[in-house]
Amino acid sequence: MTPSTFDLTNCEREPIHILGSIQSYGYLLAVLPDTYSIVHASDNIADLIGQSADELLGLPIDQALSNSSLSANALIEFLNVGRRSESWEGLNPQQFAVNGKSWNLIVHQHQGLIVLEWEPVGEHNIARNQQLIAQALTEVQASRTLSDLLQNTAQRVKKIIGFDRVMVYRFEPDWHGHVIAEAKEDHLDSYMGLHFPASDIPRQARELYKINLVRLIADTTSTPSRILSQPDWPNDKPLDLTHSVLRAVSPIHIEYLTNMSVQASMSISLMYRGELWGLVSCHNTVPRFVDYPARQAAKFVSQLLSTALEFRKDEEDQSSLLHFRQNGQYLHEQLLLDENIVKALTKQPVSILDMTKGTGAALLFNGTVYRLGQTPDDDEIRGLADWLKQNDMESILQTDQLPNLYPPAEKFRHVGAGLLSIILSKELNEYIFWFKAERIQQVTWAGNPDKPILVDADGQHRISPRTSFAAWVQNVRNTSEAWAEAEVAAVVKLREDVLQVITKQANEVRLLNQRLQLAYDELDAFSYTVSHDLRTPLSSIRCYSEILLEEYGQDLNPDATALFQKVIDSTERMRALIRHILFYSRMGRTELNTQSIDMKQLLEGIREEIMITAKDRSLTITIGDTPPIVADETMAIQLFTNLLSNAAKYTQLEKEAIIRINGKQSDGEVIYSIEDNGIGFDMNQAGKMFDLFKRLENARTFEGSGVGLAIVKRIVIRHGGKIWFHSELDRGTSFYVSLPSTQTR
Amino acid sequence: MVDMIDVLYVEDNENDADIFSRLMHKMGRPVTYTILSSGSEALDYLAGQGKYKQQLTPLPKLLLLDLNLVGLSGIDVVHKARQHDRTRYLPIIAFSTSDSPSDVRSAYEAGINAYVVKPGTYQDTGALLTHLYDFWLERNTRIYSK
Repeated sequence: MTPSTFDLTNCEREPIHILGSIQSYGYLLAVLPDTYSIVHASDNIADLIGQSADELLGLPIDQALSNSSLSANALIEFLNVGRRSESWEGLNPQQFAVNGKSWNLIVHQHQGLIVLEWEPVGEHNIARNQQLIAQALTEVQASRTLSDLLQNTAQRVKKIIGFDRVMVYRFEPDWHGHVIAEAKEDHLDSYMGLHFPASDIPRQARELYKINLVRLIADTTSTPSRILSQPDWPNDKPLDLTHSVLRAVSPIHIEYLTNMSVQASMSISLMYRGELWGLVSCHNTVPRFVDYPARQAAKFVSQLLSTALEFRKDEEDQSSLLHFRQNGQYLHEQLLLDENIVKALTKQPVSILDMTKGTGAALLFNGTVYRLGQTPDDDEIRGLADWLKQNDMESILQTDQLPNLYPPAEKFRHVGAGLLSIILSKELNEYIFWFKAERIQQVTWAGNPDKPILVDADGQHRISPRTSFAAWVQNVRNTSEAWAEAEVAAVVKLREDVLQVITKQANEVRLLNQRLQLAYDELDAFSYTVSHDLRTPLSSIRCYSEILLEEYGQDLNPDATALFQKVIDSTERMRALIRHILFYSRMGRTELNTQSIDMKQLLEGIREEIMITAKDRSLTITIGDTPPIVADETMAIQLFTNLLSNAAKYTQLEKEAIIRINGKQSDGEVIYSIEDNGIGFDMNQAGKMFDLFKRLENARTFEGSGVGLAIVKRIVIRHGGKIWFHSELDRGTSFYVSLPSTQTR
Repeated sequence: MVDMIDVLYVEDNENDADIFSRLMHKMGRPVTYTILSSGSEALDYLAGQGKYKQQLTPLPKLLLLDLNLVGLSGIDVVHKARQHDRTRYLPIIAFSTSDSPSDVRSAYEAGINAYVVKPGTYQDTGALLTHLYDFWLERNTRIYSK
């Protein structure tokens, strides 16, 4: 099947209002208003009045009817009344007896002609119909739901006209239809919930439905009767049957009905604010005539329904708005109560999924995607966010055909053909999305889309009504149900609520920041005191001890000398400790001045320094690959000095101490390993490794403050890197430092 | 022109001043020095004002300046000294316990010639002063004010 060869407008182009024939159960004459001379007559008119159309055409009505049993005088009098009152509405139908049989005459005036139509008088029950109308009126006044009202209207119309099946058929915004209420005989399959493509009721047919509110097709199997015109009547002025009650049915529509096993049909228009809202569509499996009064009764019930629609529909919109608003209120309360935005919006009984009729919802917050219901996957949602970010959109986007705006959405159209999204923060890439599934996934289509295309005698492809489904399905691909105003309104409000909570939290963070700033200031003051006021007396203790030893050493006994040496050693340890603490406290705050660092040079410098202090022992430091790192140079020196001097320290007991450094460039990061063959440590204590002042048991005899590795950790964290290690007691330790190879902060 | 002294040391910590004096006396050569205990006194001395008004105070070849002084700070002293013709080019060395980068920076910005951290031990201080003398008194070429 190649959709491109379909002629979808075929139905739309059919001039159904000037088909040139009427249904054969009735008869038609059209007369000029001034002379009542006949200009059109249906071919079957002879059946009614015994004279052929040819004989009648061109004659004034009194002459034409002189030989018939239809009283010309009575008819003329009737027409005079109608013309004078300029309205036929109140006069229809008028009963006339012809050859002892009663006929209903229905008259209207259109395009300069008076059109007279006779149809049979049925076996209608006026009393019962009036009762049904009264019930309908009561029901409309009572406060019932719209769906109840529709269902009962279907029942009532079915009782009035006696068809097998009465459906209420609602048009969607794209004019495809949807059966929303149904009354039927038990043996028939239900059509409830079925969707019909828009092409089933083409545009010009819909226009006629707006003008002519009731339409009866009494027998699809009968042959229509042609309308003949008086000989000199211009060919380009065929009789316009727009207002005719007998108007014949287009062959395409007959075919449509036949496919549905329907031999009589009737439809009544449902109007909402001047537009066609839906139809009461009635089917009968065998031919059935519904007389004018019954049609009028059914029409009246339907008009009552139309009136009810005007406010009931508003009410239902209101109530769904109320429903979403209520859920929005719950969400707001959850937000205020919890202040954990993700939890409040996605993890409670009422979630963002309840804010719309969407089939899925997602929150992108703090870099994480949270999904509810049926949604595209995480990556697809992130892609969508990127697209929204790039396209300078308003804070809210709604579409019922996302793939047409954003082609990648075609991949996930089954869950996301429609999108409603709000921006929480463009900078932080934070969004809430609601998705609607592709409509094709959701609906049950009436008819069989796979039925082959019919080919006309002239070889043209023509779409029969039933086969138009396939084309229609093509047509509505990538489309979801539209977003209702109530949904959008609820979402707009939610956005405000969420932003308010975010702002509130931001203010709290700001207050915290202020307090933190205060604490930092105090820490600064403390650091200064440590650095100066504590170090100064310490220096004095140290210096005077040295002076005592130097200048009075000869007067002291060896014990006193040793004690002075202990004082001096203690001040030395304290000095080192103070220096480390200061360095540690500054590490968190000093500005990072990152640059690419020549690691070979840096490591060789550190090695040289360590080798000077280790000149009395056997120590080998090998430097392998040295890919550059991006870091603050001072901190990098501190980092590697600490790690290498640690390694040197803990290999002191080895006969042959070996330290190996090697760098490895991998994806986006550089990893340096520092391996030694020193005392190692028990991995059970590894958790304490980087804690300030923590020292491991087996390192007790080694000098150290417990600050060195804490500084190392801080430096690594400041650079957005990682540090880890592996160690075995008495086997040595390996440290691994990974630093991002791109600029940080 | 008045004779110059070698060093003017501004230090409000008595112990540090004392240790300095002891080290001066241990120097292998004669060194002339004056110790003042506050920034404002140092400025008076350098400018020949206040209680030094009637005296002709000898300019030092080197001003050794503790930064953390009670009252006027060492940085203030540098600022003021640099505004005065007589001391605009006087070599000033900041001599401080602090090695905080921000202290070092602001001292340089005020116009010091060098920043030296107090070593904290007697021996190291002695060695440092010997080096300072070698360089600033022997090697360094001075601009004398008019």
